[in-house]
Amino acid sequence: MLSIKNLHVNVEGKEILRGLNLEIGKGEVHAIMGPNGSGKSTLSYVLAGRDGYEVTEGEVIFEGKNLLEMEPEERAWAGVFLAMQYPVELPGVNNMTFLREALNAVRKGRGEEELDAVAFMKLIREKAELVKLPEKLLKRSVNAGFSGGEKKRNEILQMALLEPKLAILDETDSGLDIDALRVVAEGVNSLRSPERSFLVITHYQRLLDYIEPDHVHVLAHGQIIRSGDKSLALELEEKGYGWILEEEAAA
Amino acid sequence: MITAELQKSWARSLLEAAPSSPAPWLEALQRKAGEAIEQLPPVNRKQEAWRYTNVEPLLKERFQPVVSRPAGYEGEVPEAITPHRLVFVDGWFMPQLSDVALLPQEVTAGSLAEAIAAGDERVKNRLGSVAEPDAHLFTAINTALVNDGLFLHLPAGVKLESPIELFWLNSTDGETPRLAQPRNLVILEPGAEAVLLEHHLPGQGGHYLHNAVSEIVLDPGARLAHYRIQDESEQAWHFSRAALDQGSDSSYHGITLAFGGRLSRTEYETRFTAEGASCTLRGLYTVGDDKLQDFHLDVRHDVPHCSSREQFKGLLYGKGRAVFDGRILVARDAQKSDAELTNDNLLLTRNAEVDTKPQLEIYADDVKASHGTTVGQLEPEQIFYLRARGVPQQRAVHLLCEGFAAEIIEHITVEPLRDQALARLRKTLSQLD
Ligand SMILES: Nc1ncnc2c1ncn2[C@@H]1O[C@H](COP(=O)(O)OP(=O)(O)OP(=O)(O)O)[C@@H](O)[C@H]1O
Ligand SMILES: [Mg+2]
Repeated sequence: MLSIKNLHVNVEGKEILRGLNLEIGKGEVHAIMGPNGSGKSTLSYVLAGRDGYEVTEGEVIFEGKNLLEMEPEERAWAGVFLAMQYPVELPGVNNMTFLREALNAVRKGRGEEELDAVAFMKLIREKAELVKLPEKLLKRSVNAGFSGGEKKRNEILQMALLEPKLAILDETDSGLDIDALRVVAEGVNSLRSPERSFLVITHYQRLLDYIEPDHVHVLAHGQIIRSGDKSLALELEEKGYGWILEEEAAA
Repeated sequence: MITAELQKSWARSLLEAAPSSPAPWLEALQRKAGEAIEQLPPVNRKQEAWRYTNVEPLLKERFQPVVSRPAGYEGEVPEAITPHRLVFVDGWFMPQLSDVALLPQEVTAGSLAEAIAAGDERVKNRLGSVAEPDAHLFTAINTALVNDGLFLHLPAGVKLESPIELFWLNSTDGETPRLAQPRNLVILEPGAEAVLLEHHLPGQGGHYLHNAVSEIVLDPGARLAHYRIQDESEQAWHFSRAALDQGSDSSYHGITLAFGGRLSRTEYETRFTAEGASCTLRGLYTVGDDKLQDFHLDVRHDVPHCSSREQFKGLLYGKGRAVFDGRILVARDAQKSDAELTNDNLLLTRNAEVDTKPQLEIYADDVKASHGTTVGQLEPEQIFYLRARGVPQQRAVHLLCEGFAAEIIEHITVEPLRDQALARLRKTLSQLD
């Protein structure tokens, strides 16, 4: 599904990703862990197509297409979804309007019929129920004045609505209380399918208790320096990153 | 630069075209306005209120004041939202195009000229008492040439269920551009309530000057919601000044949405005459293509316990320019005043420009007052967020602009008007790229 080869990325002239390789197959769940500032969000933004990230080397192939050549909206239509670490507030833009706009834009981009207001209302109620997002938040401006946890739930709601092929969750668990974490994880699990892949960025094993990853990677100074199965996450939880960084330095 | 000579000769050319005073009792007021014209300083950049507002091209044009009621109107009259529709052409009330039959008997809504001619005491008492004739050149001209416009009067305790809707249209003979200069007098007696909607439209006109002055008297406990959509033609000059006299516990809720005009100047002047009154002024302006949107507010808290809220937002594009001049004065005795003023501007292009000047003058010590202005661009991360959700770039920009404007439009309580306003905004946005 996704193939990242030797990806080098500069931000403001500074190299953040330095030859990153990652292969994600259909239906797989990959977790990325790594110290603060190691480049996890940078990777997620590059995949989503945000401006300001200069790819100096390498390639990203998504479903046989060169992802890096696509506009952000084209990536969304193709099935890439990024739940952001810091969801953006859109004052004055009604959440319901936004969700409908996004859904219909994506449907149109995928060559599907747009949903009318009635069908949309039915769908959004269903999805909001799935992530336990109170209906009053649908009537407010997008993320404006939402609590941290509400913002994250709103991200998962968008994911559930847009039904991506590849969902990238950048620290969706941070800022969530214990119950919200379970709700979000259940939301993610209900979307797991043989057709859909996940890239879950997190600092904590806790989320991975709910969303069991097929592969766990450690990202440090711009590279994947260790990959393993879910036991790697447990090991990291116990020992921290120090030992891997040391082993890497020794190698 | 405009000289005193240019200003005087321009004004005289308009005054000469006018017939004698419509009523002897009005002569004193008109004479006062005529004298003011001779003495007023020129409206040029030496005056703070005109510093960024260049009306020199206007004063180099000739206009024909419309001094009698047009015989008819060839154009189409837009559909009204409400049963109470008053249509004005070139500033004149057109009874045959209007519909006031369903208004309660005790309500007066119609032609000011008729009320003047009939010597209506309510008009005699109040006309010219709220708006200073000599505020500046354009108010003086309006006063000197006073003829028709709206006269609206609600007796004590009358609460109208449906809004009253005004349409300002223009006609043309294809030759000298016309001057419409309506004078409006709105009186709400104690406890009366009304909603007034105004549409400023080109009608058949393209190139014209609209110079309106409204005097609004709110007696104790009266409430008026007053929504205006200014959608003049792109060649039109638009001036409108609303002067408010607010009694105790009265409330005024004014919104102006200014979309049109080559140069459009909107002025509000509020005086609180007794405690407990509140005044909310809101506005949205969109401006591009070498046009100017100009807003001037002058809110005076002279008495204690009044509140005012001013919220204005501007969307600028192309080479659009805007001026926002918002002044709130809290006099020494006006304790417990509550005043808040904001002006936010969104510049969609590099060439757009805004001069914003909030002025809070506070002489009382126990008040709540604040002001804030912003001038900014759309946030790239907001655009990215929308695009990452599949919304194309251009549509993302539109949604964000709509969101910005929504914070004004959402305060319109008349739903069909709110929808019209949004549709009108979308029209502007769709022409952006
Ligand atoms: N716009 C920017 N300008 C300058 N430096 C940036 C910018 N964006 C990211 N960086 C830098 O790139 C590095 C990687 O940042 P990134 O946000 O990808 O880290 P992260 O792994 O997601 O960290 P965290 O776990 O704290 O979320 C950091 O050193 C950060 O300061
Ligand atoms: Mg991060």
